Amino acid sequence: MNNSGLQQYSPVDSRKTQLFQLRDVYRIYGEEPVAVHALDGVSLDIHAGDFMAIIGPSGSGKSTLLGLLGCLDLPSRGSIKVAETEITDLDDGARSKLRGDSIGFVFQQFHLIPHLTALGNVSTALLYRDLTKNEIQKRSMSALSMVGLAERHDHRPIEMSGGEQQRVAIARALVTDPLMILADEPTGALDTKTAKIVLDIFRNLHSENRAIVLVTHDLEIAEKMDRVVSMRDGKIIADDLRSERTDALEDRFWESGSGSKLE
Amino acid sequence: MNWFREILSVAISGLTARKIRTLLIMLGPVLGAAGIVAAVGLNESAKGDVRQTLEKLGTNLIVASADGTFSGGEAPTLPEDAVERASNVSTVDRVAGITEIGSLTVVPSEGGRDFFRTIPVPVLTSDQNLLEVLDARMLHGRFINGADENNYFRSAVIGQDLASDYQYLPGEVRTIDVNGETYGVVGVLENVDLVPKLDTAVIIPKSSAEEDFDIEQKPTTLYVRAIEGRVDSTADALPIAINLGGNEGVTVAVPSDLLEAQGAVDTTLRNILFLMGGLALLVGGVGIANVMSISVIQRSGEIGIRRALGHTKMTIAMQFVLEALFVGVLGGMAGVLTGIGVIYLVSSVLGWIATLNVPLFLVAGGMALIVSVIAGLYPAWKAARLEPLETLRLG
Repeated sequence: MNNSGLQQYSPVDSRKTQLFQLRDVYRIYGEEPVAVHALDGVSLDIHAGDFMAIIGPSGSGKSTLLGLLGCLDLPSRGSIKVAETEITDLDDGARSKLRGDSIGFVFQQFHLIPHLTALGNVSTALLYRDLTKNEIQKRSMSALSMVGLAERHDHRPIEMSGGEQQRVAIARALVTDPLMILADEPTGALDTKTAKIVLDIFRNLHSENRAIVLVTHDLEIAEKMDRVVSMRDGKIIADDLRSERTDALEDRFWESGSGSKLE
Repeated sequence: MNWFREILSVAISGLTARKIRTLLIMLGPVLGAAGIVAAVGLNESAKGDVRQTLEKLGTNLIVASADGTFSGGEAPTLPEDAVERASNVSTVDRVAGITEIGSLTVVPSEGGRDFFRTIPVPVLTSDQNLLEVLDARMLHGRFINGADENNYFRSAVIGQDLASDYQYLPGEVRTIDVNGETYGVVGVLENVDLVPKLDTAVIIPKSSAEEDFDIEQKPTTLYVRAIEGRVDSTADALPIAINLGGNEGVTVAVPSDLLEAQGAVDTTLRNILFLMGGLALLVGGVGIANVMSISVIQRSGEIGIRRALGHTKMTIAMQFVLEALFVGVLGGMAGVLTGIGVIYLVSSVLGWIATLNVPLFLVAGGMALIVSVIAGLYPAWKAARLEPLETLRLG
């Protein structure tokens, strides 16, 4: 379903809880006449239970959108609401708290803290929340168990494979029980077999209360997601459910000269 | 409480994760604090032996000498009853007088006359209580006593340095030649720090001196011990008491004043050394700011992920300030200990008395701490301002 011309900014059942709402969001870098419009009037809703991919070629604005969805950046114009809270009205402290409470991040390069163990890395997400040491440890161990790494809790990133590091990163994203897990090319640095394991973990984490959003170049991965938001030139060109899709994702970007993977 | 415990643990783990770098950062406060403690401490230790001597000698000895008025051109002397007059001053504890006899030649033996002629040796007579007044001690033998005086014995007590010059062996029966008369050495006087001229002097009985050299028994110098705490007023009163007509002709001196001045720590030098230590600390502070700033760049990924996980700018800044605080505390403590070590080492090599100034340790340690924290503010500010989007390289 395309969002142009419609007042609905999601193809999913509108009765589901709305977690994120973007309205007419612009992100412009620099000043005219050399300004770069990284996002050009984007509107989007993300609901609980969404299992979605954001795809697009380089420069399409998907990383910018990821930064805004993750409350790591503020729009030049427009409104972003996270669970009814307008983030543009918040100061750094409140926005950081909202980010920590609502969003779990998974990155292509894992971004684990090298001198901390797996348990230490997961626990980092629970700091400064007035939890006791025991609570932090218990919840972190439980998150590591969910990704099958409980027995490796005392290993440092350097002692782990790429797939294991990414699973630790997923446990870290998960441990705060966020509204949305935002993953940036989560399988980009992994081999096919490990990528499948990681994707399966995301699939298992997907629940009625949480949204999983993957930003990816990889159309094969995108094909497996329930909802795909396609972007080009800072705009959303398509936003549809797999069940309703009539065209091949590949065709949407063929003009850009890309194959199964967008470059 | 949890928040503080957590941020402390994050700061500590940040430091322990990179031990070499942490040690390098710590060098600044260590060297600065050690510099201050060692420089000032060594300056004080160098004076320690003088101060210890002062404590041993006491500061209540007054020396009253004739300055020429009484004797009208001849060797200056005090009135004959000067000792008695001085004793009348109520704040005087005890008094002893000596009479220096000029123009006498002293050699260790008749055979050594040609060889030793050039060395001037003061010859003097003294009251028998001189040792008691000066708190002096005999190195060997005995002092001039009543038997020597009553029997006109030609006995002599010589100073320690003179005994050494004459290669006098302890217990050896020796004689010395005083202007042609042979005197038997009955004792060697240990060096007297407050009256160094006795160290090379020959002391003979008054009776023998009078008979052999025809001198007047008028004292030339009085040694006076004042009651503790009344030194100044006694020194003021003595010239009047001795002269009885005014204070002309009598010079008083408190020899410990001179020693005290020597022993006093030179405040200008001390300030310069302190300043140099402070400068070292400042340079150390610049080093901390520098290394920590580089560290912020190297750890930008960690900072970015912490920000993404919801840590505020404030907690990131606090983490770095606390790291600097730890560096300051540990560096300051290590610096003070290093400084103390240097003081002990140098003092033992040079034979000084190691003097430890505890308030200075607190000042040096405190300065190391303050400089470290101030130096940590810039990197902390820099870390807090890092944008997670830039450091995480999305997409």
